[in-house]
Amino acid sequence: MNDGRGLLRRALWFGFISGALVLYLITVGIVLAFSARNTITGVVALGRLMLVAPPLALGFVTAAQGTGTARRLGAGLLTGLASGLILAIFLVFVSAVDIRGILVRVSPALTTFVNFDKGATTGAAINVAIAGAAGLLGAGVRVMTARFRRPLVSAALGVVIVSMLEPFLYPRLTDFGLIVIGRFLFDHKGLTVVAAIVVFAIFAVATVGWPIARRATRQRIAATDPGTQATIRGMTLLVLILFLLALPQIAGAFLSQVLVFVGLYTLLALGLNIVVGYAGLLDLGYVAFYAVGSYLTALLTSPISALHLGLPFWIALPIVILGAALTGLFIGAPVLRLRGDYLAIVTLGFGEISRILFLSDALKPWFGGAQGILSVPPLLGVNHISVPILGWELSGPTLTYYPLLFFCAVAAFVAYRLKYSRVGRAWNAMREDEDVAQATGVNTVNHKLLAFALGASVGCLGGAVFVTHLASVFPGTFSILVSITVLSIIILGGMGSIPGVVVGSLALIGLPELLREFAEFKLLVYGGVLVVMMVARPEGLVPDVTRRRELHEAEAAEPVEALPSSEGA
Amino acid sequence: MESHAIDTASMTSQESNESLLLEARGVTKQFEGLVANRDIDFDIPRHSIVAIIGPNGAGKTTFFNQITGIYAPTAGTITLDGVDITGFQPHEVAQLGIARTYQNIRLFQNMTVLANVQVGRHVRMRGQWYHAILGTASIRREEEATVAKSRELLELVGLRRSVEDELAKNLPYGDQRRLEVARALASDPKLLLLDEPTAGMNPGETRQMTDFIARLRRDLRLTILLIEHDMKVVMGVSERITVLDYGEKIAEGTPAEIRANPRVIEAYLGKQATSA
Repeated sequence: MNDGRGLLRRALWFGFISGALVLYLITVGIVLAFSARNTITGVVALGRLMLVAPPLALGFVTAAQGTGTARRLGAGLLTGLASGLILAIFLVFVSAVDIRGILVRVSPALTTFVNFDKGATTGAAINVAIAGAAGLLGAGVRVMTARFRRPLVSAALGVVIVSMLEPFLYPRLTDFGLIVIGRFLFDHKGLTVVAAIVVFAIFAVATVGWPIARRATRQRIAATDPGTQATIRGMTLLVLILFLLALPQIAGAFLSQVLVFVGLYTLLALGLNIVVGYAGLLDLGYVAFYAVGSYLTALLTSPISALHLGLPFWIALPIVILGAALTGLFIGAPVLRLRGDYLAIVTLGFGEISRILFLSDALKPWFGGAQGILSVPPLLGVNHISVPILGWELSGPTLTYYPLLFFCAVAAFVAYRLKYSRVGRAWNAMREDEDVAQATGVNTVNHKLLAFALGASVGCLGGAVFVTHLASVFPGTFSILVSITVLSIIILGGMGSIPGVVVGSLALIGLPELLREFAEFKLLVYGGVLVVMMVARPEGLVPDVTRRRELHEAEAAEPVEALPSSEGA
Repeated sequence: MESHAIDTASMTSQESNESLLLEARGVTKQFEGLVANRDIDFDIPRHSIVAIIGPNGAGKTTFFNQITGIYAPTAGTITLDGVDITGFQPHEVAQLGIARTYQNIRLFQNMTVLANVQVGRHVRMRGQWYHAILGTASIRREEEATVAKSRELLELVGLRRSVEDELAKNLPYGDQRRLEVARALASDPKLLLLDEPTAGMNPGETRQMTDFIARLRRDLRLTILLIEHDMKVVMGVSERITVLDYGEKIAEGTPAEIRANPRVIEAYLGKQATSA
């Protein structure tokens, strides 16, 4: 009885949240921005999916609790209907009252799209039905066993993602003479119905088959002798390297440019991960090291900088790294005694100070103030257009992609080696309990400074490479947003996890580049993603092994207490 | 050695310092106006088990913190094995051979059991960050030796091999205490400080811990300083007991002497107890 009423309240509360989310997406303008992007041409557009996603997701959440399949399904349906009802009221309201004076995005084009061009009342009714169905579907997915749920969810996501890749896949397929496949897959900026089914099936089968195949392969490898195992590991690494080397050739110029951004942020995040993930020092001013790396490189290599040195990049690099490490010590020293929040605030200040210093009039003779430093020579070769290397002609973004790849590999290697060393354990101990770490014999002062210096050195590499990519440097580049973005990558990927950093920057840097419509909503989506992550998966997408346990062992011990349902209802 | 006069606390001059591992002379700690402890003389003979007792707020933990370098004494000196360690940083004190456990267990909760012990080994390792990056042969040997040593210690304190990859915080309470001891032992200490090692244990576990403490001294030739509330533990295991009250040493001697000392009874039970 009590359970029933609890479930009812829960369903309505989540329905309310879902409705609020939908209204938010509509009024902000995301829905309309994506209404032209087809997911499956003639069936559903991405904008429509965004309207369906909240009731679907919250129907899923609602059905997480409660007893009895029918009841849980009913609760999901109720969530969806409640969500749809809120949307319906809104649609009827805006058809009667013009609110464009307040919410500029609520245009006739938007309401027409949401209403299926059928007028406010009919449109509202259809939307209630769709939302109800979505809620029911969400609950249904939750109720079914994991064996069916996982392939279903991954296949659905697969279809959405492949459809999003259309603007990049289609031209590349054409370039490679595979226009037949392109025509089969895509039609009018979306998947064809047949292609959607095929993609769905492939993803579903892969999700089922992948763990089985992996386990079988693992077992077969484990059965072989150590020598063979080492060979297999070496081969895997080789294949990975070859793939990463060939990637820009496959991806084409635009995607290579995206990869350069991803690589840059991966490098920055690898550095910050040492400071935040390993040593637990929350540094919000990481952009300072990026800036120092950029400016030092520009200063040393540009022939028209204040120094007039025009050094080759590889000669300047050691000086740049040393300079950045010293900056790390310089910033690290005064904050040695600060912990947690205080450290975060002070480093935040340092980040801003660095930007303002580079912009300042006082240092203009050196750093050029708002004009920055120009004419930074390329990293490889003599011009920014193309370089012949071993018979290959490197051009455009690949000129930066390969050096970045190299530096990322070095940074990842260093981070990996440090993680499982005496120093890495001392950092972790400091993160856990600084006083005890010190009483156990860890020289906390030295280890903090070391973390700052190493993090700074890696961060400056990003700046050094990127300044050669842009051929110039301006203070405007080094806003606090860079620090926040890098930190978000680490949180999203999983604190202290090296693969997590790569996945994090693919998700936070790569995806928004692919979805150009997102550009103006980027920060909005960042914020949303981070909030959802903190609630649903605080250990990140690819968590560190120990951290995954730390956050989920407790749940195994006691049943998962999902989102508080009564709160504020 | 057990023949110290109660109350006087002074050393007789013929005892050579060779037999003492730790000597504290006139140790005082003052926080602003508040005197946490005053003018404490305290000796720990080699391979002995000595205890500090006293009512709550008597300054026992303050004294511990002075020995381990967390607080620098306002006055007085502390000598470990002939080295004046007054005012040393905690990590330097750890390096010189003092390790401790905590009253309210303080493990590195989100690190594995094995990693906790490996951190304990930190001061006996040499690998620097650049060694780690280069992966030199010496550092690989050192890592292997550390893992072996850590496993040995886990076995010594009675933790099964299967828990070594668990996170420390997921261990049951008693095992967490054992792990803390293993972490402390990993630094090859000369002096082991145990802050209420039987706090929160039932009589059976307490007896096990008491036996274990005695065994540590015997097998590892350790010197052990205890803080305890449980009189039975203190009386059973330690050779000498020092009693603190209101930050001052009020008595010192063998368990039997302490039990009979009127000032101790007064401090613990109040004035009426002695006059009655």
